[in-house]
Amino acid sequence: MRYDIAIIGTGPAGLEAAITAKVRNKSIVLFGSRQLSNKMQVVDHPIKNYLGLPEATGKEMAQAFNRQLDVLGIEITEKKVTTVYAMGDFFTLQLSDNSMVEAEAVILASGVVAGKPYPGEEQFLGRGVSYCATCDAPLYKGKVVACIGGSKEEEAEADFLGEVCQKVYYFPLYKDKPTFTHDNVEVIHERPVEMMGGMKIQTLKTNQNTYDVDCVFILRAAQFPGQLVPGLEIEGNAVKVDLQMKTNLPGLFAAGDIAGQPYQYIKAAGQGNVAALSAVNYLDQKKRG
Amino acid sequence: MVKIIQNNDMSEALTKKYAVIDFSAVWCGPCKMTAPILEKLSDEMSEVAFYNLDVDVNDELAMQFGIQSIPTMVVLKEGKPVAQTVGFRPEPALRSWIEQAVA
Repeated sequence: MRYDIAIIGTGPAGLEAAITAKVRNKSIVLFGSRQLSNKMQVVDHPIKNYLGLPEATGKEMAQAFNRQLDVLGIEITEKKVTTVYAMGDFFTLQLSDNSMVEAEAVILASGVVAGKPYPGEEQFLGRGVSYCATCDAPLYKGKVVACIGGSKEEEAEADFLGEVCQKVYYFPLYKDKPTFTHDNVEVIHERPVEMMGGMKIQTLKTNQNTYDVDCVFILRAAQFPGQLVPGLEIEGNAVKVDLQMKTNLPGLFAAGDIAGQPYQYIKAAGQGNVAALSAVNYLDQKKRG
Repeated sequence: MVKIIQNNDMSEALTKKYAVIDFSAVWCGPCKMTAPILEKLSDEMSEVAFYNLDVDVNDELAMQFGIQSIPTMVVLKEGKPVAQTVGFRPEPALRSWIEQAVA
Protein backbone atom coordinates (compact mmCIF):
# COMPACT_ATOMS: atom_id res chain seq x y z
CA MET A 1 0.00 0.00 0.00
CA ARG A 2 1.00 3.60 -0.48
CA TYR A 3 0.63 5.88 2.57
CA ASP A 4 -0.52 9.48 2.25
CA ILE A 5 2.32 10.78 4.43
CA ALA A 6 5.48 9.16 5.78
CA ILE A 7 7.03 10.95 8.75
CA ILE A 8 10.63 10.31 9.76
CA GLY A 9 11.56 11.13 13.32
CA THR A 10 9.85 10.96 16.72
CA GLY A 11 11.00 14.17 18.37
CA PRO A 12 8.50 16.99 18.89
CA ALA A 13 8.50 17.91 15.16
CA GLY A 14 7.74 14.42 13.88
CA LEU A 15 5.17 13.72 16.58
CA GLU A 16 3.29 16.96 16.02
CA ALA A 17 3.36 16.33 12.26
CA ALA A 18 1.93 12.84 12.85
CA ILE A 19 -0.75 14.16 15.20
CA THR A 20 -1.83 16.88 12.79
CA ALA A 21 -1.85 14.54 9.78
CA LYS A 22 -3.85 11.97 11.75
CA VAL A 23 -6.38 14.61 12.87
CA ARG A 24 -6.74 15.52 9.17
CA ASN A 25 -7.58 11.87 8.40
CA LYS A 26 -4.50 11.04 6.38
CA SER A 27 -2.99 7.57 6.35
CA ILE A 28 0.41 7.90 7.97
CA VAL A 29 3.47 5.88 8.83
CA LEU A 30 5.73 7.26 11.55
CA PHE A 31 9.32 6.04 11.73
CA GLY A 32 11.33 6.42 14.91
CA SER A 33 11.70 5.04 18.40
CA ARG A 34 9.07 4.32 21.05
CA GLN A 35 11.52 6.03 23.41
CA LEU A 36 10.83 9.08 21.18
CA SER A 37 14.00 11.10 20.69
CA ASN A 38 17.29 10.20 22.38
CA LYS A 39 17.71 13.81 23.34
CA MET A 40 14.48 13.80 25.35
CA GLN A 41 15.59 10.73 27.29
CA VAL A 42 18.72 12.44 28.57
CA VAL A 43 17.33 15.88 29.42
CA ASP A 44 16.69 15.57 33.17
CA HIS A 45 16.48 19.23 34.01
CA PRO A 46 13.12 20.99 33.64
CA ILE A 47 12.39 22.51 30.24
CA LYS A 48 11.09 25.96 31.08
CA ASN A 49 9.66 27.28 27.83
CA TYR A 50 7.40 24.54 26.44
CA LEU A 51 3.82 25.81 26.46
CA GLY A 52 1.43 23.71 28.53
CA LEU A 53 4.06 21.53 30.24
CA PRO A 54 5.67 23.73 32.88
CA GLU A 55 8.78 22.31 34.54
CA ALA A 56 8.60 18.99 32.63
CA THR A 57 11.85 17.07 32.20
CA GLY A 58 12.58 15.43 28.85
CA LYS A 59 11.28 12.08 30.11
CA GLU A 60 8.09 13.60 31.50
CA MET A 61 7.55 15.42 28.25
CA ALA A 62 8.01 12.14 26.37
CA GLN A 63 5.41 10.49 28.61
CA ALA A 64 2.94 13.30 27.90
CA PHE A 65 3.60 12.96 24.15
CA ASN A 66 3.12 9.19 24.31
CA ARG A 67 -0.25 9.63 26.04
CA GLN A 68 -1.37 11.85 23.17
CA LEU A 69 -0.21 9.28 20.60
CA ASP A 70 -2.23 6.61 22.46
CA VAL A 71 -5.35 8.79 22.52
CA LEU A 72 -5.13 9.22 18.74
CA GLY A 73 -4.07 5.64 18.05
CA ILE A 74 -0.79 6.63 16.39
CA GLU A 75 1.76 3.84 16.17
CA ILE A 76 5.52 4.18 15.82
CA THR A 77 7.32 1.95 13.33
CA GLU A 78 10.71 1.16 14.86
CA LYS A 79 12.68 0.85 11.64
CA LYS A 80 15.45 3.02 10.32
CA VAL A 81 14.95 4.78 6.98
CA THR A 82 18.22 4.63 5.04
CA THR A 83 17.23 6.44 1.83
CA VAL A 84 14.26 8.43 0.54
CA TYR A 85 13.92 8.33 -3.24
CA ALA A 86 11.91 11.09 -4.95
CA MET A 87 10.21 9.13 -7.72
CA GLY A 88 8.28 12.01 -9.30
CA ASP A 89 4.74 11.98 -7.91
CA PHE A 90 5.53 9.69 -4.97
CA PHE A 91 8.41 8.62 -2.70
CA THR A 92 10.01 5.26 -2.01
CA LEU A 93 11.60 4.83 1.41
CA GLN A 94 14.26 2.18 1.74
CA LEU A 95 14.42 0.74 5.25
CA SER A 96 17.43 -0.79 6.99
CA ASP A 97 15.80 -4.26 6.89
CA ASN A 98 15.92 -3.85 3.08
CA SER A 99 12.15 -3.50 2.74
CA MET A 100 10.49 -0.58 0.94
CA VAL A 101 7.58 1.69 1.81
CA GLU A 102 5.83 4.13 -0.51
CA ALA A 103 4.23 7.46 0.36
CA GLU A 104 2.68 10.36 -1.54
CA ALA A 105 4.40 12.91 0.71
CA VAL A 106 7.26 12.78 3.22
CA ILE A 107 8.07 14.89 6.28
CA LEU A 108 11.69 14.81 7.45
CA ALA A 109 11.98 15.41 11.19
CA SER A 110 14.96 13.26 12.07
CA GLY A 111 16.93 15.91 13.91
CA VAL A 112 20.31 17.44 13.37
CA VAL A 113 23.36 15.24 12.91
CA ALA A 114 26.40 16.40 14.83
CA GLY A 115 29.74 16.49 13.07
CA LYS A 116 30.39 16.06 9.39
CA PRO A 117 31.25 13.25 6.99
CA TYR A 118 34.72 11.68 7.26
CA PRO A 119 37.27 12.75 4.64
CA GLY A 120 36.75 10.35 1.73
CA GLU A 121 33.30 9.27 2.90
CA GLU A 122 31.33 11.07 0.22
CA GLN A 123 33.94 10.39 -2.43
CA PHE A 124 33.70 6.61 -1.93
CA LEU A 125 29.97 6.38 -1.30
CA GLY A 126 28.77 3.44 -3.39
CA ARG A 127 32.39 2.47 -4.02
CA GLY A 128 33.17 0.92 -0.69
CA VAL A 129 31.28 3.19 1.68
CA SER A 130 27.82 2.01 2.71
CA TYR A 131 25.21 3.15 5.22
CA CYS A 132 23.16 -0.05 5.23
CA ALA A 133 24.65 -3.37 6.30
CA THR A 134 21.48 -5.34 5.58
CA CYS A 135 21.26 -3.90 2.04
CA ASP A 136 24.89 -4.18 0.93
CA ALA A 137 26.42 -7.00 3.00
CA PRO A 138 25.86 -9.56 0.18
CA LEU A 139 28.31 -7.59 -1.99
CA TYR A 140 31.07 -8.22 0.55
CA LYS A 141 30.56 -11.92 1.14
CA GLY A 142 33.85 -13.44 2.31
CA LYS A 143 35.57 -10.04 2.31
CA VAL A 144 37.15 -7.89 5.00
CA VAL A 145 35.11 -4.89 6.07
CA ALA A 146 35.14 -2.19 8.71
CA CYS A 147 32.08 -0.99 10.54
CA ILE A 148 31.77 2.30 12.42
CA GLY A 149 28.97 2.10 14.98
CA GLY A 150 27.44 5.33 16.27
CA SER A 151 25.41 3.70 19.04
CA LYS A 152 24.71 0.35 20.67
CA GLU A 153 21.60 -0.09 18.47
CA GLU A 154 23.86 -0.56 15.42
CA GLU A 155 25.46 -3.72 16.83
CA ALA A 156 22.80 -6.04 15.40
CA GLU A 157 23.63 -4.86 11.87
CA ALA A 158 27.36 -5.25 12.53
CA ASP A 159 26.75 -8.75 13.87
CA PHE A 160 24.97 -9.58 10.60
CA LEU A 161 28.11 -8.43 8.74
CA GLY A 162 30.00 -10.99 10.81
CA GLU A 163 27.72 -13.69 9.47
CA VAL A 164 28.39 -12.77 5.84
CA CYS A 165 31.89 -11.31 5.73
CA GLN A 166 35.20 -13.01 6.47
CA LYS A 167 36.30 -10.37 8.99
CA VAL A 168 34.70 -7.29 10.54
CA TYR A 169 36.67 -4.56 12.32
CA TYR A 170 34.16 -2.79 14.55
CA PHE A 171 34.85 0.77 15.71
CA PRO A 172 32.39 1.85 18.43
CA LEU A 173 31.91 5.60 18.81
CA TYR A 174 30.31 5.11 22.23
CA LYS A 175 31.38 3.91 25.69
CA ASP A 176 29.26 0.77 26.33
CA LYS A 177 31.03 -2.52 25.71
CA PRO A 178 29.89 -3.99 22.37
CA THR A 179 28.75 -7.64 22.31
CA PHE A 180 28.59 -9.85 19.22
CA THR A 181 27.61 -13.46 18.59
CA HIS A 182 30.12 -13.86 15.73
CA ASP A 183 33.74 -14.03 16.88
CA ASN A 184 35.12 -12.71 13.56
CA VAL A 185 33.85 -9.29 14.65
CA GLU A 186 36.83 -7.60 16.29
CA VAL A 187 36.18 -4.54 18.42
CA ILE A 188 38.83 -1.85 17.99
CA HIS A 189 38.93 1.21 20.22
CA GLU A 190 40.50 3.66 17.80
CA ARG A 191 39.04 6.75 16.20
CA PRO A 192 38.45 6.51 12.44
CA VAL A 193 39.78 9.60 10.67
CA GLU A 194 39.83 9.01 6.91
CA MET A 195 38.84 6.70 4.07
CA MET A 196 41.39 6.26 1.32
CA GLY A 197 41.72 4.36 -1.94
CA GLY A 198 41.79 4.65 -5.71
CA MET A 199 38.82 3.64 -7.83
CA LYS A 200 37.36 1.96 -4.76
CA ILE A 201 38.05 2.25 -1.08
CA GLN A 202 41.17 0.41 0.07
CA THR A 203 42.09 1.65 3.51
CA LEU A 204 40.48 2.95 6.66
CA LYS A 205 42.83 5.17 8.58
CA THR A 206 42.40 5.66 12.33
CA ASN A 207 44.24 7.87 14.79
CA GLN A 208 46.66 4.95 15.38
CA ASN A 209 46.64 2.48 12.48
CA THR A 210 45.49 1.74 8.95
CA TYR A 211 43.23 -1.17 7.99
CA ASP A 212 42.96 -2.69 4.51
CA VAL A 213 39.27 -3.21 3.84
CA ASP A 214 36.87 -3.73 0.92
CA CYS A 215 34.12 -1.66 2.47
CA VAL A 216 33.45 0.66 5.40
CA PHE A 217 29.92 0.51 6.78
CA ILE A 218 29.09 3.74 8.59
CA LEU A 219 26.10 3.18 10.86
CA ARG A 220 24.97 6.43 12.44
CA ALA A 221 21.83 6.91 14.51
CA ALA A 222 20.80 9.55 11.94
CA GLN A 223 21.93 10.24 8.39
CA PHE A 224 23.15 13.51 7.00
CA PRO A 225 20.10 14.92 5.18
CA GLY A 226 21.76 15.05 1.75
CA GLN A 227 22.57 11.34 2.02
CA LEU A 228 19.11 10.47 3.30
CA VAL A 229 17.42 12.11 0.30
CA PRO A 230 19.43 12.23 -2.96
CA GLY A 231 18.77 15.53 -4.73
CA LEU A 232 17.75 17.42 -1.58
CA GLU A 233 18.95 21.01 -1.33
CA ILE A 234 21.01 21.70 1.81
CA GLU A 235 22.16 24.96 3.38
CA GLY A 236 25.00 24.54 5.88
CA ASN A 237 23.98 21.44 7.85
CA ALA A 238 20.24 22.09 7.53
CA VAL A 239 17.65 21.25 4.88
CA LYS A 240 16.66 24.35 2.94
CA VAL A 241 12.98 25.10 3.60
CA ASP A 242 10.53 27.96 3.11
CA LEU A 243 7.98 29.19 5.68
CA GLN A 244 5.60 26.39 4.63
CA MET A 245 8.42 23.93 5.42
CA LYS A 246 8.66 22.97 1.74
CA THR A 247 11.99 21.70 0.44
CA ASN A 248 13.20 21.88 -3.17
CA LEU A 249 11.52 18.50 -3.85
CA PRO A 250 7.72 18.74 -4.34
CA GLY A 251 5.91 16.68 -1.70
CA LEU A 252 8.90 16.62 0.65
CA PHE A 253 8.80 18.76 3.79
CA ALA A 254 11.19 19.21 6.72
CA ALA A 255 10.60 20.33 10.31
CA GLY A 256 12.46 20.70 13.58
CA ASP A 257 16.22 20.67 14.09
CA ILE A 258 16.85 19.24 10.61
CA ALA A 259 15.41 22.50 9.21
CA GLY A 260 17.95 24.58 11.11
CA GLN A 261 18.35 26.66 14.24
CA PRO A 262 17.06 27.51 16.81
CA TYR A 263 17.05 23.98 18.29
CA GLN A 264 13.97 24.37 20.49
CA TYR A 265 11.20 21.84 21.25
CA ILE A 266 8.36 24.31 20.89
CA LYS A 267 9.66 25.58 17.55
CA ALA A 268 10.09 22.00 16.34
CA ALA A 269 6.51 21.15 17.28
CA GLY A 270 5.23 24.28 15.52
CA GLN A 271 7.15 23.44 12.36
CA GLY A 272 5.85 19.88 12.50
CA ASN A 273 2.34 21.26 12.51
CA VAL A 274 3.05 23.53 9.53
CA ALA A 275 4.77 20.72 7.61
CA ALA A 276 1.80 18.39 8.11
CA LEU A 277 -0.71 21.03 6.97
CA SER A 278 1.47 21.81 3.93
CA ALA A 279 1.60 18.09 3.14
CA VAL A 280 -2.19 17.85 3.46
CA ASN A 281 -2.53 20.83 1.14
CA TYR A 282 -0.11 19.23 -1.33
CA LEU A 283 -2.14 16.00 -1.35
CA ASP A 284 -5.42 17.90 -1.89
CA GLN A 285 -3.97 19.85 -4.82
CA LYS A 286 -2.58 16.69 -6.33
CA LYS A 287 -5.94 14.96 -6.07
CA ARG A 288 -7.62 17.89 -7.84
CA GLY A 289 -4.97 17.55 -10.52
CA MET B 1 10.36 2.08 -23.64
CA VAL B 2 13.80 1.25 -22.25
CA LYS B 3 15.60 -1.40 -24.29
CA ILE B 4 17.95 -3.93 -22.67
CA ILE B 5 21.53 -4.14 -23.93
CA GLN B 6 22.86 -7.71 -24.01
CA ASN B 7 26.04 -9.54 -25.01
CA ASN B 8 28.11 -6.33 -24.80
CA ASP B 9 26.36 -5.20 -27.99
CA MET B 10 25.37 -1.54 -28.07
CA SER B 11 25.69 -1.04 -31.82
CA GLU B 12 22.06 0.03 -32.13
CA ALA B 13 22.47 2.77 -29.51
CA LEU B 14 25.51 4.12 -31.33
CA THR B 15 23.45 4.80 -34.46
CA LYS B 16 20.85 6.94 -32.64
CA LYS B 17 20.90 10.72 -32.74
CA TYR B 18 20.52 10.73 -28.95
CA ALA B 19 20.70 7.77 -26.58
CA VAL B 20 20.70 7.49 -22.79
CA ILE B 21 22.52 4.46 -21.41
CA ASP B 22 21.71 3.41 -17.84
CA PHE B 23 24.56 1.33 -16.37
CA SER B 24 23.07 -0.67 -13.49
CA ALA B 25 22.94 -4.02 -11.69
CA VAL B 26 20.19 -6.15 -10.21
CA TRP B 27 21.55 -5.90 -6.66
CA CYS B 28 21.82 -2.10 -6.64
CA GLY B 29 19.04 -0.27 -4.74
CA PRO B 30 19.44 3.18 -6.32
CA CYS B 31 19.47 1.48 -9.76
CA LYS B 32 16.11 -0.15 -9.04
CA MET B 33 14.74 3.26 -8.13
CA THR B 34 16.17 4.91 -11.24
CA ALA B 35 14.67 2.37 -13.66
CA PRO B 36 10.98 3.43 -13.42
CA ILE B 37 11.95 7.10 -13.80
CA LEU B 38 13.86 6.35 -17.01
CA GLU B 39 10.92 4.26 -18.23
CA LYS B 40 8.63 7.25 -17.71
CA LEU B 41 11.05 9.69 -19.35
CA SER B 42 11.47 7.34 -22.31
CA ASP B 43 7.70 7.60 -22.94
CA GLU B 44 7.87 11.39 -22.76
CA MET B 45 11.03 12.00 -24.81
CA SER B 46 10.41 10.40 -28.17
CA GLU B 47 13.54 11.94 -29.72
CA VAL B 48 15.82 10.10 -27.27
CA ALA B 49 16.43 6.32 -27.23
CA PHE B 50 16.81 4.74 -23.77
CA TYR B 51 18.85 1.66 -22.93
CA ASN B 52 19.54 -0.29 -19.75
CA LEU B 53 22.82 -2.11 -19.35
CA ASP B 54 23.58 -4.59 -16.56
CA VAL B 55 27.28 -4.12 -15.77
CA ASP B 56 27.62 -7.71 -14.52
CA VAL B 57 26.57 -9.24 -17.83
CA ASN B 58 28.05 -6.50 -20.05
CA ASP B 59 31.40 -6.19 -18.29
CA GLU B 60 33.33 -5.22 -21.45
CA LEU B 61 31.12 -2.19 -22.08
CA ALA B 62 31.28 -1.23 -18.40
CA MET B 63 35.10 -1.34 -18.61
CA GLN B 64 35.14 0.54 -21.89
CA PHE B 65 33.09 3.37 -20.34
CA GLY B 66 35.16 3.25 -17.13
CA ILE B 67 32.12 2.70 -14.93
CA GLN B 68 33.18 2.74 -11.25
CA SER B 69 29.85 3.26 -9.57
CA ILE B 70 26.26 2.53 -10.42
CA PRO B 71 23.84 3.77 -11.45
CA THR B 72 25.79 5.75 -14.03
CA MET B 73 23.89 7.36 -16.90
CA VAL B 74 25.60 8.37 -20.11
CA VAL B 75 24.10 10.45 -22.91
CA LEU B 76 25.38 9.59 -26.38
CA LYS B 77 25.06 11.98 -29.31
CA GLU B 78 25.52 10.08 -32.55
CA GLY B 79 27.51 7.48 -30.63
CA LYS B 80 29.73 9.94 -28.76
CA PRO B 81 29.39 10.47 -24.98
CA VAL B 82 28.35 14.07 -24.29
CA ALA B 83 27.24 13.86 -20.64
CA GLN B 84 27.56 11.51 -17.68
CA THR B 85 26.05 11.44 -14.18
CA VAL B 86 26.42 9.08 -11.22
CA GLY B 87 23.86 8.15 -8.58
CA PHE B 88 20.12 8.39 -8.13
CA ARG B 89 18.50 11.65 -9.18
CA PRO B 90 14.88 12.70 -8.62
CA GLU B 91 12.76 12.73 -11.77
CA PRO B 92 12.75 16.50 -12.44
CA ALA B 93 16.53 16.66 -12.02
CA LEU B 94 17.08 13.69 -14.32
CA ARG B 95 14.69 15.11 -16.93
CA SER B 96 16.41 18.50 -17.03
CA TRP B 97 19.85 16.84 -17.11
CA ILE B 98 18.85 14.87 -20.24
CA GLU B 99 17.13 17.89 -21.81
CA GLN B 100 20.29 19.95 -21.39
CA ALA B 101 22.48 17.20 -22.80
CA VAL B 102 20.39 16.89 -25.97
CA ALA B 103 19.71 20.62 -26.41
